[in-house]
Amino acid sequence: MILKILLAGDGGQGIQTIAEIICRAAFQKNWHVSYIPNYGLEQRGGVSLSFIQISDKVIGYSKFTTPDILLIMSEQARARVKNYESGIMNYDVKDYAQKLEEQKIGKSSYNIFFLGLLVKYLEEKNVLKKEEVYELLEKKLGKKLNWEENKSIFQTCTL
Amino acid sequence: MLEKEKQFLTGHEIVIKACLDAEADVMYGYPITPTCEILSGWSNIGKQYLQTEDEIAAGFAVCGAVLAGKKAFTASAGPGHILLQDAFSMAEAMRLPFVMVIGQRGGPSSGTVIYSQQEVTLACYGGNGEGYRLVYSPSNAKELYELTRQAFNDAWHYRFPAVLLTDGYLLKTKSVFNLAEITKMVNIPAHALVPEDKVVHWPNIYTLEEELNEEINETKKDFSAISEEISKAESYKTDGIEYLVIAHGIVGAVAKMAVDELREKNIKVGLFRPITLRPFSKKQLDDLFVKNNIKNVVVVESSFGQLARIVRDELAPEIDATFTYIQKPGLGIEVEEIVEFMKKLKI
Repeated sequence: MILKILLAGDGGQGIQTIAEIICRAAFQKNWHVSYIPNYGLEQRGGVSLSFIQISDKVIGYSKFTTPDILLIMSEQARARVKNYESGIMNYDVKDYAQKLEEQKIGKSSYNIFFLGLLVKYLEEKNVLKKEEVYELLEKKLGKKLNWEENKSIFQTCTL
Repeated sequence: MLEKEKQFLTGHEIVIKACLDAEADVMYGYPITPTCEILSGWSNIGKQYLQTEDEIAAGFAVCGAVLAGKKAFTASAGPGHILLQDAFSMAEAMRLPFVMVIGQRGGPSSGTVIYSQQEVTLACYGGNGEGYRLVYSPSNAKELYELTRQAFNDAWHYRFPAVLLTDGYLLKTKSVFNLAEITKMVNIPAHALVPEDKVVHWPNIYTLEEELNEEINETKKDFSAISEEISKAESYKTDGIEYLVIAHGIVGAVAKMAVDELREKNIKVGLFRPITLRPFSKKQLDDLFVKNNIKNVVVVESSFGQLARIVRDELAPEIDATFTYIQKPGLGIEVEEIVEFMKKLKI
């Protein structure tokens, strides 16, 4: 089994934060994991990508153009990944506009919303456990502002 | 505290770990992507370091420290690597155990900041000398660790400067690193190259042309003598092949996966992957050609022929083979590209 995940967003949207958490949770489940962040020279405002691979075999190369799962979190990011094939599972922020508004999810928590969706899918595929992801998330963000809000977004999304 | 054998680490962290385990004393450097995290990581764990005003100073600081018997190293990339070649040439002239970790980035000049294989010529032949230095090209996390250790050992044992030639993809990738899979290695200890109580005349400049010529001849002799012993390459699935792919570093890892795929399609392809670029495993390559009567070679690299030039130069002149190339300066190469290229070549 090899699962290729490409996360794309703007710098500052927390793409690398959720990538790190997904990878760590998969690592704890004894998968081979490879993760390489990719961003430009900008301090902020550029496109931020995470190339993640989870496999039962040793992973030879960290980049790819054919993701199985593709997350697009901004307009700029959509343009940046247009040469990549779309995934089997696609999560595009524009398809979730209504849902994000209904649930009153602030822009700074979009990453947690999509982390929840990704984790729900990955748990169904027996890749990782949402409880373990939650623990990692709490460790990372538990003492930060909006934790209660992020916590409830994550829990709702993974239901 | 017992260290967990399996860890999830970046290439930078693996290099730092290898330098620690090699018992390196001190790092001198000037930060540049993609090797900044080696300098910051080394200083964060409380090891001795100095951030110099530039790479020229860092390089000569390494020369000074190793003369005094300290295991010193530096890390840099691209334009920083160019500046380091000044001091590295002095290390070549004086046979100093200078160790540097290079994270290749795109060039020329500042180019791009993460990846390429365009610093091969610079690492192997940079400076105003003959290229008597040791150059290691790791293809994965395990080799990144092992070859860093090897670079220190060989530099101090054989007294040649050594380069760990890696790239930003390998350094920035976080992957599973299993200490249990690593071959155990005993460190060659550092020692003062100039005894404190003695005055030694040890030049890097000569009055007479003959003197310098003699010195270079000596160095050549020493380098040739150790070449077969320390050169390293992997020959992968090379029995009865029609085509030989040659690639190094992470492109070598990709080529290996491509060979697996092509073999499943019954295309007789094998891989030769140099692990040391200097010295080069010349005999192993020549033997491979003769044994299999190989007529078709494909050299794959993220540069316009820096590896291909070395291969053509090292291959015995009486061997007659057709060379084709996949060359993408500054770009990564994927398994599918090599597979498709080989399928077309077969037709």
